[in-house]
Order: sequence, then C-alpha cells, then structure tokens
Amino acid sequence: MLKILIPTLFLLPTTWLTSSKWLWPTALTQSMLIALGSITWLNNTTDTGWTALNSYIGTDPLSTPLLVLSCWLLPLMLLASQNHLSSEPMNRQRMYITLLATLQLFLILAFGATEMIMFYVMFEATLIPTLLVITRWGNQTERLNAGTYFLFYTLAGSLPLLVALLMLQNSTGTLSLLIIPYAKPLLLMPFGSKIWWAACMIAFLVKMPLYGMHLWLPKAHVEAPVAGSMVLAAVLLKLGGYGMMRLMIVLDPLSKEMVYPFIVLALWGVIMTGSICLRQTDLKSLIAYSSVSHMGLVAGGILIQTPWGFTGALILMIAHGLASSALFCLANTNYERTHSRTMLLARGLQIALPLMTTWWFIASLANLALPPLPNLMGELMILTSLFNWSAGTLVLTGIGTLITAAYSLYMFLMSQRGPLPQHMLALPPSYTREHLLMALHLIPLLLIILKPALLWGWFAC
Amino acid sequence: MADYREAPLATRPKTLDPNEYFNLSPDYRRAEAERAALRAGLKRQYQLQLNNPHRKELIEDPALNRWVYARANPYNHFKATKKTSLLGALFGVAPLFILYYVFKTDRVRLYRRTTYCQCIADQALDVG
Repeated sequence: MLKILIPTLFLLPTTWLTSSKWLWPTALTQSMLIALGSITWLNNTTDTGWTALNSYIGTDPLSTPLLVLSCWLLPLMLLASQNHLSSEPMNRQRMYITLLATLQLFLILAFGATEMIMFYVMFEATLIPTLLVITRWGNQTERLNAGTYFLFYTLAGSLPLLVALLMLQNSTGTLSLLIIPYAKPLLLMPFGSKIWWAACMIAFLVKMPLYGMHLWLPKAHVEAPVAGSMVLAAVLLKLGGYGMMRLMIVLDPLSKEMVYPFIVLALWGVIMTGSICLRQTDLKSLIAYSSVSHMGLVAGGILIQTPWGFTGALILMIAHGLASSALFCLANTNYERTHSRTMLLARGLQIALPLMTTWWFIASLANLALPPLPNLMGELMILTSLFNWSAGTLVLTGIGTLITAAYSLYMFLMSQRGPLPQHMLALPPSYTREHLLMALHLIPLLLIILKPALLWGWFAC
Repeated sequence: MADYREAPLATRPKTLDPNEYFNLSPDYRRAEAERAALRAGLKRQYQLQLNNPHRKELIEDPALNRWVYARANPYNHFKATKKTSLLGALFGVAPLFILYYVFKTDRVRLYRRTTYCQCIADQALDVG
C-alpha cells in the first residue's frame, strides 16, 4: 500500500518543483507508474480476504477493482486536461494537478480504509478538491450553482451518517470493517432503528445518486472541466456504492423491510432518467443522466443483498466508470473544437474526424451494454438477481435496457452521422493525445472481457 | 402558373407581380418591403461571416442560443397548473406507490410460499 501512497503523496512536491517545460510529462509519467503499480493489488493472495493489511488500511477483493480504477484514472485525467490548461498561468496549472493528486490520495485512502470513520473522513475530504475544480475551472457561470448543489446535497446526506457511525461505535466499541460483521446488532426502539438505517444509507444513496436525490449530478458533471467530469463519473459515484456494500453487513435484519422504497426509486429512476436522456440537447447532460440511469441499476443490485447482485453491481461500477469517462473525454474533444456542448452543432463528425468515430462507436456500444463487454455482464447479473427477488422488476429493467440502447444510439447517430454543419471550417484533426486517451480508456474495458473474474469481488470462484 | 419564376436577367411582367395579382394594399407592400430589407441585412451579415477568410470560430446563431437556454432551464419558468400537476402525479408519485405495492405483495406471497413449503418439509421429516 505504501508503494502507491508515497508516490501519490510526492506527486504534490513534484508538480510544484519541476520546471514548466517538464511539468506535464513528469506528472503524467509518475501517475502512469503509480497506475501500473496499483494493478498488482488485484492479486488477492490471502485466505482471509484482506491483503496488505495494517492498522489503518487494507485491500480486499471488493476494494481492489475500485482502487485500480481510481489510480488508472489520474494519468487519463492529466492527458485530457493538457490542452485546455495550456493557455493558463503556470501556477494555476500546478494548482490543478495538485488538486487532482490530492483527490487521488483521498480516494486511495477511502477505498483502502479498514475503519468506517476513516472512510467517512476521506469520503467527505474528496468533496473539497472536486468542489475547487468545478467552481474554479468550469467554463460557464452556472458552475457556482453546480458547486453549491454538489456540496450541499452530499453534505446534507452524510451528516446523519456521522451520527449513525458514532452510535455504532458507542455500542460496538469499534468500527473496524474486520470486526463489525461479527458484532451484535444495534438495539434501538423500532422507529429508531429505521431512522438509524436510513441515516446510514442516505449519504451513499445521495452520492450514487438515487433517482429522487440526483439533481446535483447533471449540474456538477456539465459544469466541471473534463478531468472533473471524468473523476466524478468514474470514481466518486462509486464511493457511494462501495460505502453501501460495506455497511450492508451491519444493517442486516432491518434491510429486508427498509429497502423497498429505495429499490422502487432506483428502478423507476432507470426508466425516467433514460427517457430524459432522449430529450437532451446538451451532450454532457445526456452522458450525466445516463450515469444516473446506470447507477440506479447498481443501487438496485446492492440493495437486494444477494451474491450475484453485489457481483453485478461491482462489475457494472468498474465498466461504467471506464465507459462514462471515455464518453466525457469524447464530449470534451467536441467541446474543444466547437466551444459548445449543443449536440446539433457538432453533427456529422464521421466525415470530418473518421478515426474518432471508432472511439465514439466503441464507447457508445459500451454504454448500451453490448455483449461481451463487462457492462453487459454487470447488467445481466443485476437483472437476474432482481428477477429472483421479485418477478415484476423484469418489466422495469427490461424497459430500462431498451431505453439505454435507444439513447446511446441516439447520441452516436446525432454526433457522427448526418450532415456536417456547413459553417464549421476550422476543425483541427484529432490529436494523437486524444487517440491515446481513448485507447487507454477502452482497451482496458476490452481486456476485462477476457478475465472478468478480477472484478467479481468476494465471489470470484 | 404557380411555379412561374422570372428568368434570371429579366423582370417579372407587371400583371404577374404578386402585389398586383393579389391586389395587396400599399401599407402591406411597404411592410413587406421593410421585412425583406431586414432579412437581406441578416443574410448579408451571415454571408460576410461565412466567407470571411480569417474566421476560425463558429458563427454564433442567437436563435440557437435562445433555444438551447430554453431547453436547459425549464424549471425557472415552471408553473403548477392542472396539467403539470397531473403529469407529475402520474409519472412521479403514483408509480412509486404502485411499484411498492406490487413488489411487496409479490415478495410476501413468495415468503409465505417458501415458509409453508419449509414447514411441510419439516413436518414430514419429524414424522419420518
């Protein structure tokens, strides 16, 4: 664990001490080496499940895929931001990389935490660099509104979680993830137990986001610069899912009754946000709502607490992280050329930028869960375990899958096919950096097809 | 005669001029001429920008900007009328209750069935 944490920590002095000519190559190389080193975490050798264990942090098959995803994303974020930051003063560029590196550090500590309070503190700490990136480097005036929504929705959801965790600490004496599965349940009055359950879950449901509390997500994703959108879509949403998976063990007998409203919201949200996607005019907004839709399915898979549900949720989280981040990078390539997110303006790009169409195609197919990509594997596992839970869910998830395919194809056809607007003259051809960025997103997604067992969590048998 | 158009270098004869043909009033003709002048000015601006060799950016279309803003900010102008309340209740509130009811009855039925079968199996084992 230290071999990843210390290089990430020292990325901060590196960005401030390298000369301006070598800043971006150095930051990129160091973060890429950290990412390659983090892949060794996928080798879970111990029988007990917890590898690299010490008093504060450890990894287990649930957290390693998410850790590798967050480490892999930092070089990709730096690659994506290089162009739009190149015109800014040097100190602002260094500050940006510093914010991304601190975010990375907090994310590694959050996913690796073995104690719930440390996870909570790191969960809250990730909000600050993200808020700074959205409000300081966003492009429109709405970024301030977006930052406010983002911060206060998540904070308001997570303060009850602090109270709930402290109550659990009081009763059990410890909040270590190795011990609380075996601790006695928290005995409260019936209504108090329900409030305590809701307090534990609401923070993560707002973060995921669940359909009723999802308003912060389109704003934050649209107003953030590309690296902010990437890390939000790929990793920060998954913090919510990870927290839910960890806490479900403690909440067990209550969950049978309490999950119904949230599963209903999650599944209905899949259909509603999918339908909203079909009516969007803003490309980033479409990708943001598609994130809500996929995360609704993940929330449904986690809340029913079955092995296949958890496995499907974990795989879908990783696959969606890579695919959604790829789509945001593609949207950014459009934005850098036309300075507008309107889909109508950037049509017919297959004629102008044919090689980028390949990446658009693969990313759209990943979004609509084409077999044999891991997106389909995750969705199918969640679908079948939901069907086992109750047969009626198949109607909702089936319609949801149909609408997902519809809007993914709509996005592809709208941006690539059709007539190229006649007044667009100066479209620079795709840079090698952009092709590299897309390859680094989508080639791991394609490689996961060959061994998805790496991502199955506790049930990789 | 509906698709008659004058030859490029000739003028239309007076009897086929739409203003004379339809007996339009002089006020209407003046207004029409003003509107045509405005349109010609806009087209000239667009053509100037389109054919400007030093232009690198997109030509900004204010109508498109207004439309995009309107599509992106519906909630600022939302009003709770009978129609919007009905739609909100139909798509936002009622499905939640209906789905809760459907899933709950289905799960309760499944639970009763599994515990009943388990009970019968236990009795059979006890007897045997």
